[in-house]
Amino acid sequence: MTNILTLERVETFISQYHILQGIDFEAKAGEVSVLLGRNGAGKTTTLRTIMGLTPASKGTIHFDGKDITKMAPYDIANSGIGYVPEDQGIFGQLTVEENMKVAIRKETDATMQKQTYILELFPDLKKFWKKQGGNLSGGQKQMLAMARAFVNDSKLLLIDEPSKGLAPIVIEKVMEAITEMKKHTSIVLVEQNFMMASKIGDTFTLIDDGRTVQSGEMQNLIEDEQLKRKYLGIG
Amino acid sequence: MELLISLTINGLATGMLIFLLAAGLTLIFGLMDVLNFAHGGLFVWGAYTGVFTYAWSNSFLVGIIVAILTGLVLGFITEKLIIKPVYGNHVQQILITLGFMLVLQEMIKVVFGPNGVPVKVPSYLAGSWQIGDLTIIKYRIFIIVVGFALFGVLYFILNRTKIGLVVRAGVMNREMTQALGINIKRVFLIVFMCGAALAALGGMLMAPYSGVVYAEMGMEYAILGFIVVVIGGMGSFQGSLLAAILVGLAGSFMAYYVPFLSVAVNMILMASVLIFRPQGLFTVAKG
Amino acid sequence: MIKQPLLLSKVNVVYAIVVGVMAVLPFVLDSRTMTILLTQFCIFAILAMSYDILLGYTGIISFGHAMFFGIGAYTTAIMLSDYGPSIGIFAVSIVVGIVLSAIISVISGALTLRLKSHFYAMFTLAISGLFLVLAEKWRTVTKGNDGFTFRAPELFRERLYFYFLVLICLVVVFILLKRIVASPFGKVLVAIRENEQRTRSLGYKTLGYKIIASVIAGAVASLAGSLYAISLRFVNTSVMTMDITLDALMMTIIGGVGTLIGPIIGAGVIEFAQHYLSGLAREYPIFERWIIFFGILYILAVIFFPRGIVGTVSLRYHEWKLKKGQKTKASVKLREKEIQR
Repeated sequence: MTNILTLERVETFISQYHILQGIDFEAKAGEVSVLLGRNGAGKTTTLRTIMGLTPASKGTIHFDGKDITKMAPYDIANSGIGYVPEDQGIFGQLTVEENMKVAIRKETDATMQKQTYILELFPDLKKFWKKQGGNLSGGQKQMLAMARAFVNDSKLLLIDEPSKGLAPIVIEKVMEAITEMKKHTSIVLVEQNFMMASKIGDTFTLIDDGRTVQSGEMQNLIEDEQLKRKYLGIG
Repeated sequence: MELLISLTINGLATGMLIFLLAAGLTLIFGLMDVLNFAHGGLFVWGAYTGVFTYAWSNSFLVGIIVAILTGLVLGFITEKLIIKPVYGNHVQQILITLGFMLVLQEMIKVVFGPNGVPVKVPSYLAGSWQIGDLTIIKYRIFIIVVGFALFGVLYFILNRTKIGLVVRAGVMNREMTQALGINIKRVFLIVFMCGAALAALGGMLMAPYSGVVYAEMGMEYAILGFIVVVIGGMGSFQGSLLAAILVGLAGSFMAYYVPFLSVAVNMILMASVLIFRPQGLFTVAKG
Repeated sequence: MIKQPLLLSKVNVVYAIVVGVMAVLPFVLDSRTMTILLTQFCIFAILAMSYDILLGYTGIISFGHAMFFGIGAYTTAIMLSDYGPSIGIFAVSIVVGIVLSAIISVISGALTLRLKSHFYAMFTLAISGLFLVLAEKWRTVTKGNDGFTFRAPELFRERLYFYFLVLICLVVVFILLKRIVASPFGKVLVAIRENEQRTRSLGYKTLGYKIIASVIAGAVASLAGSLYAISLRFVNTSVMTMDITLDALMMTIIGGVGTLIGPIIGAGVIEFAQHYLSGLAREYPIFERWIIFFGILYILAVIFFPRGIVGTVSLRYHEWKLKKGQKTKASVKLREKEIQR
């Protein structure tokens, strides 16, 4: 299988702080690749760097055969990456409908079909179509954020901690949705909840202190008690 | 009663002119966190170019069109030359726009001369209506009507069109808007140019109202504009209308009843808003 | 901190020579106009330095700095005209002006310095606007827009003596402020400028530091105002206007923020250029609009030389030294800082 996303020796500064000090990362087409690591390891910054929101100062990022390292965030998004930030980035005073409208680049038949499809996946969004984004529950916000990222022809979704702050039953739903979306797109997932990560992830990349420590098949990590204990504090 | 009505009309007319300045300011701030101190310069340039073409062509309408064009062109230049190099650095943005304001103001004196220029109300808007004891000056009503009409148009654009939706989304969460594939810089350029055009139009409409244009009027009205933006909540479009009306009315009533406080009242309003409700009376929730 | 006695003393020698030259200049030039011009320069250098404490060291933008200048000027003018033109009264008026300024700084700082920078800027604009209105309307005391003349203390009616006083004030203020910014307190201010949240998370009560910085800046500006009033023997509302704040701002930016010496040079450049440009204006009217040149220079400085004259020169100097292979620790540090920007 080919790589849809490749990061090579990526380094990122936020003002004067050297947050990413060497990230190597590969995501294969059609898979769910999980970024793991403890708090402050640099997972969120990695996603933001891919999106161009905190641009890399060294290293390269290739997406779908193209070098996107120096591209502006909107160009990166338009080249086919959907982004679901940790705080979901819902426009609080816009309705669900308007949130979707902002996201849809061109109202073609294809995107409209995709919107219909995603609304079937998240019936709650349809139910609260005219409700303001700020008044949705945490789970609904998560779904809206994923719907927004997914509705254009995204070849890759970056999802940052979708389980954060959600009740277990809602997490189940989110996991189902991700599994469903995986049929149409590749996914990079940042996830603290190892249970969830191990269930839906195909491969893992472990980062610590802004560097890639190890990567491989998810199954290998599940079996490697020592690695889990050392870097994730579980096992 | 007559007095109350005519004070209200005065206040509304002034408020509408300030609104034209503040509308652009608040959206520019909301989208890019830019406190554009050069806004008053655009206002005064609109006034002068408009007034001179009005005098030359003898057509008020031509003057208005030229003022708007001036605003668009100057807005484009300002954004590209002055704002763009300092994106993301608030301190530098404040400093540089203030410097540009000075240059714009002095350039007025170089191009149009250092003295004030008297302006007449066009004949079809001149004069007043007499209703009993009440004298209503036509031009003031004209300003109020234009002000509300422009508010209506802008409100429609912001709430019923895709570009308006994108602008509102950008004010709430700039980063996310970009991550959804929207070139926020281009949107900002458009907003900036429109804001500049509104300010320039405001200057042109102000000219016959005050009867004279002078280079320093830019700074004076820009400060009123800022006061309105602070009171209304930085980034809130509706807030800027209400605050502009509030400031206009406060100014007109105070000037009559407590004249020595009339200049201070706006400053006091703004200072108290900053102390007690720094987010403004009408807020845009971020995120 | 690693002390660099050699470098420091070298710089100090240069400073001493400059002060010496400035002290003899009036004798060499022997012109009343020049003495007055030098006096103005020193006064505005003091004002600009005080602004640098806010903008350059702490990263606070104030649009109300003229208020403190005006408070100093009015306090001195009013007290001298009410209680007689003695040196004692003059000294007391300086202290009263400083105390008033400090009180106002504390109040406005406590109210709004916790907010984002532009809110504080707007607040200072409002407060200084109120003071301007007060100066205009409180006619019994201030004589309104027209202002009033008063008698300066006997000794300082001699332009030369007054110039020496102002020069001494400049040197003392410079040394004091230099000490303050080099102290641990000054380091915290710079840390606040660089990243306030970070500084707060390190356990510093940043609000307190910012308030103290604004008190110092206000006090020094008030001193400059007191001296200014004496230099004119006249005061009116122009000392409270935005123009004064803009002057201080331009001097600081053009000279170089966060350097203290920069604002002094900026004040010199602007005061002298203004003098000569308005002289040229008699022949070429365009120079009447001299402020355009400074406006453009100022804009270019903000975009291309955010460190102003002094910062840019010292950077180039260190780079040149670096090229020569003399890798002093200071220049490497400076370089690193530049790269991070």
